[in-house]
Amino acid sequence: MFEKLGLTKMAQGLASYSGARLAIIAENVANADTPRYRAKDLPDFASAYDGMASFSARATRPDHLLAPTPASVAEPVLSGGSMAPNGNDVSIDLQIMKSVEVRQNHEMALAVYRSTSSILRTSLGRSG
Amino acid sequence: MSDLLKSLGVSAAGMQAQATRLRHVSENIANVDTPGYHRKVTSFKVDGDGLLELAKVRLDRSDLENIYDPGHPLADETGHYAGSNVDLIIEIADAREAQRSYEANLKLFDQSRQMTQSLFELIRR
Repeated sequence: MFEKLGLTKMAQGLASYSGARLAIIAENVANADTPRYRAKDLPDFASAYDGMASFSARATRPDHLLAPTPASVAEPVLSGGSMAPNGNDVSIDLQIMKSVEVRQNHEMALAVYRSTSSILRTSLGRSG
Repeated sequence: MSDLLKSLGVSAAGMQAQATRLRHVSENIANVDTPGYHRKVTSFKVDGDGLLELAKVRLDRSDLENIYDPGHPLADETGHYAGSNVDLIIEIADAREAQRSYEANLKLFDQSRQMTQSLFELIRR
């Protein structure tokens, strides 16, 4: 909604990053017993956000063509620990710990977004 | 948002696969005394959409247990008959592993649901 504001842009970035990271963690946990499966994870938010916030072309005329925006925020990287005899290196406790971290980041992003939008509402003279 | 929905789907597929695995384990346990029963072995694979699913169920071709019971209807002239090759310890361990993985999937499913809900709270107010 407020993409031009740096604060909400970053909050939106963190929220979508958290969603993407949770999807990868869910995949790891679902494959916790699959032979030869390697655990994945996203790079940390700072480097993922740098990739998102880079300069992008703007279409100022209808006949300008834009490169399609990348579908995912960042490419997943391998992040497994010690490997089980069947070639699987997912550690469920580590994944649960990461999912709690993701949850906290997501809540924080939504809280920032909520308070920014309430400041904007107040400045427009509406309550809340 | 679509990532959250995707993780809901991934966790649901994981729970489904673990539940089916637990069903095969309980079939093995139920047939521990069935003569000539080969235990079923389940393994997982990832399908085209990145979702977890059970690979084709195989039968464990290891030797059946040779039980001595001359009074058994299936006993041969030496008094032995072929039992099942189910090992209860292995089945219990397998069931425990299925339960543990199921609970982890359920936990992540619940978390994706809660995160989707808090996203909805943002537009509801």
